[in-house]
Amino acid sequence: MRPRLPRAWRPALFFLALGAYAVFAYWAAHGSLYIQGLVLVAAVFGMLAVSLDMVAGMAGLYSLGHAGLFALGAYATTLLYNDRHWNLFVILPVCLVGVGAVGLVLGAISLRVSGLYFAITTFVFTLVLTVFASDLKFTGGYGGLIGPIFPEFPTWLQWAGQSVIWACLVALLLATLIVLAIRSSPLYPVLLAIRDAEPFAAAAGAPTAAVRIGLFGLSALIAGGAGWMFAFQGIVSPSQFSWQVSVNILVMVILGGINTTIGPILGAAFVTIFPAQVNINPFWQEVLFGALFVGVIVVFPGGFIGLVRLVARQIARRIGGAAATAPVAEDGQPGIVDTAVVAAIAHAGVVDVADNGGLSATHAIECRGIVFRYGNGPRVLNDVDFSVRKGTIHGLIGPNGSGKSTLVDLISGRLHPDAGTIEIDGARLEREGVRTRVRHGVARTFQSAVLVHELSAQQNVQVGLYTRVPRLAGRSLAWPALPSAWRDGRRLRESVDDALSFVGASDWGRVRVADAPHGIAQLTQLAAACAWGPRTLILDEPLAGLAPGEVEHAASIFAKLKASGVSIVVIEHQPRFVFALCDEVTVLAAGEVVASGPAAAVRRNDQVREVYLGQ
Amino acid sequence: MLQVLLSGLAIGSIYGLVGMGFAIAFYVTRVINFAEGQLLMVGVMVAAWIARTGVNPWLAVVLGIAAAAAVGAVTYLVAVRPVLAFDRFSFAWLVSTLGVALILENGAALIWGPTSRSFPSLLAGTSVHVGGATLTVQELMTICVALGAAAAFELYRRRTLLGKLGMAIAHDPEMATAIGANTVMVAASAFALAGAFAGLAGVLIGPITYSNPYLGDTYGIAGFVALMIGGTARPVAAMFGGLLLGVLGEAANKLINTQASDWFPFVVVVVILLALPEGLLSLVNPSRRLLRRRGSRASPAGAPG
Repeated sequence: MRPRLPRAWRPALFFLALGAYAVFAYWAAHGSLYIQGLVLVAAVFGMLAVSLDMVAGMAGLYSLGHAGLFALGAYATTLLYNDRHWNLFVILPVCLVGVGAVGLVLGAISLRVSGLYFAITTFVFTLVLTVFASDLKFTGGYGGLIGPIFPEFPTWLQWAGQSVIWACLVALLLATLIVLAIRSSPLYPVLLAIRDAEPFAAAAGAPTAAVRIGLFGLSALIAGGAGWMFAFQGIVSPSQFSWQVSVNILVMVILGGINTTIGPILGAAFVTIFPAQVNINPFWQEVLFGALFVGVIVVFPGGFIGLVRLVARQIARRIGGAAATAPVAEDGQPGIVDTAVVAAIAHAGVVDVADNGGLSATHAIECRGIVFRYGNGPRVLNDVDFSVRKGTIHGLIGPNGSGKSTLVDLISGRLHPDAGTIEIDGARLEREGVRTRVRHGVARTFQSAVLVHELSAQQNVQVGLYTRVPRLAGRSLAWPALPSAWRDGRRLRESVDDALSFVGASDWGRVRVADAPHGIAQLTQLAAACAWGPRTLILDEPLAGLAPGEVEHAASIFAKLKASGVSIVVIEHQPRFVFALCDEVTVLAAGEVVASGPAAAVRRNDQVREVYLGQ
Repeated sequence: MLQVLLSGLAIGSIYGLVGMGFAIAFYVTRVINFAEGQLLMVGVMVAAWIARTGVNPWLAVVLGIAAAAAVGAVTYLVAVRPVLAFDRFSFAWLVSTLGVALILENGAALIWGPTSRSFPSLLAGTSVHVGGATLTVQELMTICVALGAAAAFELYRRRTLLGKLGMAIAHDPEMATAIGANTVMVAASAFALAGAFAGLAGVLIGPITYSNPYLGDTYGIAGFVALMIGGTARPVAAMFGGLLLGVLGEAANKLINTQASDWFPFVVVVVILLALPEGLLSLVNPSRRLLRRRGSRASPAGAPG
């Protein structure tokens, strides 16, 4: 666990840092021209690094387009000022919105396929822009253009020093505050989930593609602002925005510490100031610079901030002795699960629907004639009927490759059937996406716990509550400053605590999922899925890898959920749990339904016994 | 037209070799070695330096390629492996390989000076006429050697155990280790081979460009773009990407204007990427592509269970 400051200290520390920053700005604004030039460039690259870290660190989008977006801002400012004589402060919003919009378009085009191809498309974007800037007449070719001069302060503010320095440092501060706000908002865990565990974020109802594109647009907007600022530095020419500059910005981010607020700024300061301050043979200087890159990153892969954290953790350990450690996992004794106990737990206090007589007309899920194949492959599901009655626990079993997970993906909206209908709570939804299913009350968990491993259990459960925080994406930009956000934040923390205590994992709330045992990860997933109050819950192998004690615990959770009216689908490999737990069972083999009905009846089915139970 | 095609192929095969260098290292380690262009420069500089001492130029060329391969392997061991050992999915290698590029480029400038020096011309002067076009023997050899190297690599990758092991390691290094593969050795060899490809490109282009510490930038970018055109599914695709880039650049120079080679190939690349985000060669087998696209809609977590 990372050492954390007490909550109450944070505002004090924040204002202290702000004061120190103002003192620095005052000093820089009165410094020599050399200092001012250095601070201006460092602040501009600081903004760029912060904006790139926003997408690279939080969303895993390694953009090489930032130099291009930066160029757009700088050229637009210079051209609008020189040729059209616009007011610089009219240009600023035009520049921000314009570059932000370009970012949205670029994101929408290149994020269809993410990962490396995103980097490639953004790379080509920068390349083409700089080539055009070099070849076209009105951009001044290779020589570039002379930028505007930033207006001086009015006389009553002259004491503050050089206005442009204040402007660029305020701009950097604003960019940093936006990132800080996002980080402190409940959107942050959602972003990391989109980065590391996309299906999990989608199943929680987050519009993952739109969030990614929107974040990239915001990042582009900040890069455009950096471009506006940069125009005041003197000359705007193509070589200042080459694709290597994009790579350099990424270097600043990684060197400082990716996905840290301050790290990218430190990286930017280092990369811009080091070459200017070290005055030796230029070749030796570059060699030294390269050696520093290698050395820092090899010894401290987390960058400067990684190093700081390492030191801080060691100091904390020295002082606090044995700091707060993770709770001890209560490992169940090895042995055989007593299925009778599981059955007793699962059915305790609830009227067994199977004995209730007659078919209820209302189904939580009703699939008819489902056909599905991956691409042109064989049919994974062939004319499958699958219905789950409201308020029951429905087992879905079958050997590996029988199509269980595919069926669940079809029901939860990750896949769409080639033929057949899917009704959820009476609504035809087979053509709708995951988010619509979430709106109809469908929650799900995944095989092998798809979670954000670097976040705590609490933060992971927050991801599940995405739909419970209205207008989260927009409000996250100023989260700590909004009274409504404070209120929602408190309510959210309560819901998270409730969900974790509901599954009995309260002790693990602050532990990173990476450090928690497998059973806790499963429970965290379950808590995230239950937290927002779904009506239908689909659990993909929730019992896999659990110790016997944990299986009984899980059974009691399912029983509680059922008692509160939630319909549950449980996918399981191991028949003995399923028949103990479930009211009804469907057996799938090779993409077809072998048997379906009340658990006891299915269990007696000869074909099931022969094919599946081996009896 | 034929002249454009042939000249384009000659320069394109250089881009293709560097691109394959990028691709081979990426293929095994999922790392883009940003010092790949500088490895080309190492090949040129070392070959030129050895040839100046009076050694047989052919031997100098071989030693140049060997030097590039050695530097490639060292790059992996010093700058890439420690970073991947910390976090296999981090992008920190971007910083460390760029650091290596800086060291190599400026180190070469320190040792041999920042200006251009001579390079032994192996097949001076002679040229051949094909149809209405003229091609120097050097250019002809470049095309043949590049295509030969690409074909040899592809055969090696598909047919030998070591080649298949490379695929396995790319897919899942932990699993590959579990079956007893020496992942470090294979990855270091991949970097060495990638260095050899760059060194080969270097000694082929050396007689035209002479030896100069800043060669790495120009050809590094071209090779990187070749990789992007070809896509990363198979290293040999980068060769096709390079050839295409070369021909497009030549065509733009001849048919539009002399500056057009700066932008025309990239506009084509953008159009290609917009139409086929997985690279041009994904067209080769449309049915497989379709299958992959449909399949990719399901996450690993949602794979058929």
